[in-house]
Amino acid sequence: MAELLLEIGCEEMPAPWLCGLAEQLRARFLEAAARERIDAPSAVALYTPRRLVLAAEVAARQPDREEPVWGPALKVAKDASGAWTAAAQGFARKNGVAVDALRVAAKDPAKPAEAYLLFLRGTAGRSTADVVPGLLASVLRALAFPKRMSWDAWLDDGRGAFPFGRPIRWLVLLVDGQVVPFAIHALEGGAQVDVAVESGRTTRGHRFLPKGCGGEPIEVGSLAELRERLRERCVLVDPTERLARIDAGLAAASGGARFEDHGLREEWRDLVEYPTVLVGRIPAEFRALPAEVLETVLVHHQKYISLRDADGTITRFAAVVNGDGACGTEIVRGMERVVVARLRDAAFFLAEDRKRPLAARVEELAGVTFHQGLGTYRDKAVRTERLVAEMGRLGLLDGPACIAAAQAARLAKADLVTLMVREFPELQGVMGGLYLEAEGAPAEVATAVRWHHLPVAVEPDADPAAAFAGRDGEARVFAAVSLADKLDTLAGYFGIGESPTGSRDPFGLRRAGQGAVRAALDFWRPKPGEPAPDLEALLGMAIAGYPGLKQPAEKTAAVAATFLVDRLAYVLEARGFAADEVSAVLAAPEREALRDPVDALRRVEALQRVRREVTQDFAALAEAFKRAKNILTQAKPAARVDPALFESEAERQLLDTASRLQAATTGTYDEQLRGLAGLRAPVGRFFDDVLVMAEEPQRGNRLALLKTTLSLFYRIADISRLGGMS
Amino acid sequence: MTLQEIVFALQRFWSERGCLVHQPWDAEVGAGTMHPETFFRVLGPRPWNVAYVQPSRRPADGRYGENPNRLYKHEQFQVILKPPPADIQDRYLDSLKAIGIEPSAHDVRFEEDNWESPTLGAWGIGWQVLLDGQEITQFTYFQQAGGIDLHPISGEITYGLERMAMYLQDVDDVYALRWSRDVLYRDVRHEEEFQLSRYSFELADVELHRRSFEAALAEGWRLLETTGGRTYLPAYDWCLKSSHAFNVLDARGAISVTERAGMILKIRKLACAVARASVDAVAPAAEPGSTRG
Repeated sequence: MAELLLEIGCEEMPAPWLCGLAEQLRARFLEAAARERIDAPSAVALYTPRRLVLAAEVAARQPDREEPVWGPALKVAKDASGAWTAAAQGFARKNGVAVDALRVAAKDPAKPAEAYLLFLRGTAGRSTADVVPGLLASVLRALAFPKRMSWDAWLDDGRGAFPFGRPIRWLVLLVDGQVVPFAIHALEGGAQVDVAVESGRTTRGHRFLPKGCGGEPIEVGSLAELRERLRERCVLVDPTERLARIDAGLAAASGGARFEDHGLREEWRDLVEYPTVLVGRIPAEFRALPAEVLETVLVHHQKYISLRDADGTITRFAAVVNGDGACGTEIVRGMERVVVARLRDAAFFLAEDRKRPLAARVEELAGVTFHQGLGTYRDKAVRTERLVAEMGRLGLLDGPACIAAAQAARLAKADLVTLMVREFPELQGVMGGLYLEAEGAPAEVATAVRWHHLPVAVEPDADPAAAFAGRDGEARVFAAVSLADKLDTLAGYFGIGESPTGSRDPFGLRRAGQGAVRAALDFWRPKPGEPAPDLEALLGMAIAGYPGLKQPAEKTAAVAATFLVDRLAYVLEARGFAADEVSAVLAAPEREALRDPVDALRRVEALQRVRREVTQDFAALAEAFKRAKNILTQAKPAARVDPALFESEAERQLLDTASRLQAATTGTYDEQLRGLAGLRAPVGRFFDDVLVMAEEPQRGNRLALLKTTLSLFYRIADISRLGGMS
Repeated sequence: MTLQEIVFALQRFWSERGCLVHQPWDAEVGAGTMHPETFFRVLGPRPWNVAYVQPSRRPADGRYGENPNRLYKHEQFQVILKPPPADIQDRYLDSLKAIGIEPSAHDVRFEEDNWESPTLGAWGIGWQVLLDGQEITQFTYFQQAGGIDLHPISGEITYGLERMAMYLQDVDDVYALRWSRDVLYRDVRHEEEFQLSRYSFELADVELHRRSFEAALAEGWRLLETTGGRTYLPAYDWCLKSSHAFNVLDARGAISVTERAGMILKIRKLACAVARASVDAVAPAAEPGSTRG
């Protein structure tokens, strides 16, 4: 076995691509090696922003091959005297062998008597070094980038122009330490000129380090040597080594205290070749800024990790630099200066914004367009507040909750016109909540405003789950505002015909839809006996809240309702319920899921539990019910079941069981579904013993019996949908 | 190093490396990219290396001279290298040394930041260059300008002069920068920032700017359609004027979200037609009646 070493030295590749690119490089190489019949039992890919490295164990050559070349049939190849004919001589000459060296064999194993001349052409395997250039060209072409660029390069592989993620500046290509020639050409003004990059054994270290010899060429002969030489030149080519160095740095910086890294550790790893963690301080005057504002500046704008003191105050930040930490003091001073400039802006915005109460800004929303044709955010605030009031009238919110929710609905968008949100749009909602809190608004109003954009993710523990854990009263007010905001958005966009199509969802309506579903499912939290939100009715009210939508209200309602059912299914499936269970519950003919999504959740939970207990029974029933449904489409059942018309015990038994189950509708969903499992035997027997499509009146009577049985659980689910779509 | 010394140093540096040193364009532009020395020169096959300072007006960024970091008008130092040499990044890093920034004593990073100008129909791939966490340069490989794919591509280096000067002079307020040894940035620019901010946010006549937006576009198209050709340069000037009128209207809050997209498209259409006219003037269509995109 030989070692193949490839290093693609490039200008800084975007950090988010690197991990995937390295994996692609490995996978595409192994595929290409298999295609070229080069045995490659193992391959490893490493990377930094300036290089993609692949090292593979490869066979030194392709295996030799023998290809069969069939000649004339033996009876043509020899004459009556047994001498070789001209045909045989010709075949031998063509293949460059003596005719006696040819073999005789049966071409078709089924006809051993029909023999032919056979020449086995031996092809010597090519050496791996010979195959690698063509193979590399195909691997380079196969790498997929989120965005490619032209860098006026072309490859000599017949396909011409060679766009890549970033320009390639050097190329190490070795098989067992020997350079394999490979060239990337430059294209100048449409003319192909010199070689832009030629393979060799020369790599480069860190751009600037070690001081005095940054960027100097280094020669290598193997992966081990590459790793070592690069390490000496301040490049850790293995991402796991970089992450370990980052973690050690963070542990020292944080002194073991907990910190939230917001995914920055991995991003840091892929932003630099030699990570060193430095720590900067937040000047005392800015520590009183809300933590959310500090985090936004540090994490989102500067990619720094905020560090807290024992009392939870953010006093410092950790940052990664691409180097050994020499001159750290000066670098940190530069970083602190950038942070301070931003925080000073933020402090100024905060002070300016607080000069007026949030409520005074609602009027200014008249200057902010929500969407052309859907009015301004002022209009949206009025509609949302009205929708919340409707919830109160429907008995969904009690007096105090309704007053709080109405206030929050009116104020929810007011922070759009604050300086802080104009500068940091990701803080919308959050700033409204913080300003209200500072003004002394009721806690449930402030939290509802703060979180009203959410939920957007489907996971039950995603934000703002933690904020409302054990706080059902606040959760209800929040859910009302969030739901009203989202239903208003859906009503508006669907009302002007802007529904999402395929992958196009420019207004984020799918997220709004599942957010509305989740507000009802996870945050309304009705106590026993309390009504849960009826999304269909509220949707209708939201549509009626717009003065003049392009589409007729009924059409908007129908399209939006179908869309919401679909979102409900999506949320339930994301929670781990099987698609057929969700479909069965949402299709329950006697229940409309949208009218009570909380109930739909309870039904699908019960169905999942009970089905696990009695899997076989449900599978058999699903089959039988599918059959029953199918039969019912073919003929008309009688108005009611008449036991006097029964001709068999099976019919009587089925009716008995069905009647018993019908009477027992008071139990929990679990109990009712367990009862349903008891139908398996009588239903099975009915289908075994009874001919449904008999003469009338038996036929109508039997169909009526089937219909009664089928509809027994229509309050919970359409069982015929289990195990695939009916 | 004073602001003007930074300019001298960069001009000398790039001049010594084969760049023509040009002057700022004498019309309101939002970025050095809009200077004809970039917009037209990146089109077509002819190599071109140029450097110049370009004062860039962004009406919506005006802060009445009250914000230490934000300006109605800032100075860009723009370099175009066409085609980009293989060591273009090293050359750029050397230019930092020329103004006293030793990269090995700092954290200098190239982080992905692609650039796009919807009004010019131009985009490129590249980075923002961060110096100890502060963005000091936009580094772009132009891929398209005026809607035309570029062969060869051009390397564009745009230094933010105020940002770099603030770093080098260790000041936190742009107005505290030393422009020359005796004169502060405040003395040169503060009153202008106030007046231009006040104009673009409060005083600009919206109807006048709407009319001049449309009139500038119309004049641009009229020039392009004039028989005999050789009109794309003045047509481009009118395109720039329409773009500035748009920026003023935008700062004035007079443009709705939907209107905005339509206006940008109008500017882009003219910019693309101008680019096409300039390319055709250099290389006329080979055969009569041949179609082109």
